[in-house]
Amino acid sequence: MDAGLIAIILGVGPAFAAYYLTAIGHGLFEKSGILNLAIDGVFTVGVAVAYVAALFAGAAVAGSVAALVVAMAFGLLIAYLATKLPISHGAIGLSIMFVGYGLAALIAVPIRSQINAVVSYPMNVGVDVAFIIFSIVIGVLVHYMLSRTKLGAAIRAAGENPHAASSLGVNVLRVRLIAGMLGYALIGLGASFYFLAYTPAPYSEGMGMGQGWIAFAISLSAGRHPILTILSALVFAELLYNKFVLQGYLGLSVHITKMIPYLAALVAMVIFMVTPLKRKLAPPRALGKIYFKEERTV
Amino acid sequence: MYVPDSGEIYVNGKRVIFTSPIDAIRHGISLVSQIPQLIGSLTISENIILGLERFGMMTNIRRVENYIREESEEVGIKVDPNTEVWKLSYTQKQLVELLRAVMLGAKVLMLDEAITFLPIREKRKFYKFMRKFASQGGSVILITHKIPEALEVADRISVLRRGKYVGTVETRTVTIDDVRKMMFGERSAQITYERLPTSTPDDKVVLDVRDLWVMGDYGAFSVKGVKLQVRAGEVLGIAGVAGNGQLELVQAIMGLRKVSKGRVAILANGGLKDVTNKGTGKVRSLGIGYIPDEPLKFGVSMENNIEENLAMLPAIAKGIIKWGQIRGLANKLINEFKVVTPSSRTPVKLLSGGNIMKVLVARELSIAKKLLVAYNPTRALDEVTAVMVRKIIKEKVLKERLAVLLVSEDLDEIFQVSDTIAVMNSGRIVKTFPAEKAEREQVEKLMVM
Repeated sequence: MDAGLIAIILGVGPAFAAYYLTAIGHGLFEKSGILNLAIDGVFTVGVAVAYVAALFAGAAVAGSVAALVVAMAFGLLIAYLATKLPISHGAIGLSIMFVGYGLAALIAVPIRSQINAVVSYPMNVGVDVAFIIFSIVIGVLVHYMLSRTKLGAAIRAAGENPHAASSLGVNVLRVRLIAGMLGYALIGLGASFYFLAYTPAPYSEGMGMGQGWIAFAISLSAGRHPILTILSALVFAELLYNKFVLQGYLGLSVHITKMIPYLAALVAMVIFMVTPLKRKLAPPRALGKIYFKEERTV
Repeated sequence: MYVPDSGEIYVNGKRVIFTSPIDAIRHGISLVSQIPQLIGSLTISENIILGLERFGMMTNIRRVENYIREESEEVGIKVDPNTEVWKLSYTQKQLVELLRAVMLGAKVLMLDEAITFLPIREKRKFYKFMRKFASQGGSVILITHKIPEALEVADRISVLRRGKYVGTVETRTVTIDDVRKMMFGERSAQITYERLPTSTPDDKVVLDVRDLWVMGDYGAFSVKGVKLQVRAGEVLGIAGVAGNGQLELVQAIMGLRKVSKGRVAILANGGLKDVTNKGTGKVRSLGIGYIPDEPLKFGVSMENNIEENLAMLPAIAKGIIKWGQIRGLANKLINEFKVVTPSSRTPVKLLSGGNIMKVLVARELSIAKKLLVAYNPTRALDEVTAVMVRKIIKEKVLKERLAVLLVSEDLDEIFQVSDTIAVMNSGRIVKTFPAEKAEREQVEKLMVM
């Protein structure tokens, strides 16, 4: 294989890391039963925070850490609101999404108008490979946690039937706060990689908008399963990363190449809905349902 | 689950306030209820470990499996802890619940109708276990509406009536009638477990089900090739332990669950009409009444009043609702069924459980021209009302030649009302008897076989 082709294949590393981590963060959070519609807003905030923090600290890692922490705070907030109050998850998620869009502009646009520089991760094949390995290791850890540990069982229990989980001894609020924190930490990290490694460019308003939804689709097309998500994230990332290559080779319109990943997601979802995978990858039963204990008086 | 509005709870002389089940568990109080509170998609070990506080959040579940296996042998239960709970039968689930309660270190074991619907053999095992548990210093609170059960196992019996404490008696000093009087006062004379008069069915088949296959919630078949017929003037009682496919069968007949294979046909215009997968609206329009399981949840709308609860059925009101007519019907039913309510416009949630049930039964019987499908129609009713509901249904069968498909987990009910008894086990009808010839012991055996 020639070096150019290898670079094209491995060059997907940062894009893969960004989408994959965001997607498994999303899946992890939704496993606890909270419908995660805020993802795109928080992703956008993550991009803005990563840009600003990396710029001021002069190190890309600082940008990632800052995005992770800020996103985590959002995760805690969403988990708390959706568990503690009788408000629809849709309302909470979409409100926070719009708050996120606004907040991102508020944080990053003034800085952009004063400073015209970007601090990013170095770009070479070694770094690309490192991104792939790092995110897959995280994915395997998440899978182990969800399927093998008590915490994972508690998260799944809270997502299947929070009332029964509570009577089995699960502190639903605590478990969902943990899931929100961990899930959104990954979403923040993914957002920072998106900006600092995949598309490092001078910040412009609305950067990252829509990418959260792509991760959402990646997660769903793999049934929120962290290991299967490797596959769907890879397909998406390759298609997006190489969209210009596709355009060149096949002579397709840019609009069509942009649609391809979503068509792939649709096909993937159809495939697992009509096969026995449907049961294995079924959404959590209490996903998006209001969990509110009215009888509480103390 | 609930926090008291007033009053106090003491554990070992100390006042406590429980705000979640885990608080109660920490004080050694465990509850096993009538409906298993387990999570179907999780394995047995996962369900159990969730309550065990000595295991940290990052514990690998594999490590606990052996421990669960040892404990379950001690209690006398054979389960593979790695099985997903949805694969278990009702009895197995209840056994897991019990194991869980014991593993949580319960000192007080509360059984809320937990064994009411278990087959007799499993019940006896439970009784033995309860005795052993009590002799080792534990306490058991058995909540039951079956007086003989209480007399058989309890040392002391306390009676609650409509949320009020009536009294406590030593079991060996009382008879079944004494307890019944405490429970129902003067009305206790109306309770009877006598078989209601048998009806001789006509030849006319009203419901015809052939080779019916229906999936359960988890993608395995719950109903496996059921064949049954209900004739005019017949009560077909389906006996079975909960979770053997009865729910799915009833839902499939009513058009509430997809039929994978087979046929459901209902009498219409003199011939049998195929209604397989045609939807509830179609089935209901043929004059079918339906009393669902958990009727207070699925049978009425609690927020609405009696008139609205009548008008919501297309068989009663179509398109534009004529409220005057509905009121007339409501008042007629209220009188006929002696529903205790301030008016026909009282929200249903303000009525007692028995009166809500009367509204539901009255409504369904008023539209049931040919067939009534009922699932545990008297669950959650006190005995007096339950007997009354059964009598009303049977009268309709005798006088108006109604056909009734009665599915019940309460064998007393099956034997009291049915003309024909079919036993359902693991998704199949294993045997059908004329009720007069059916023997309880044999039916029970077939139920758990």
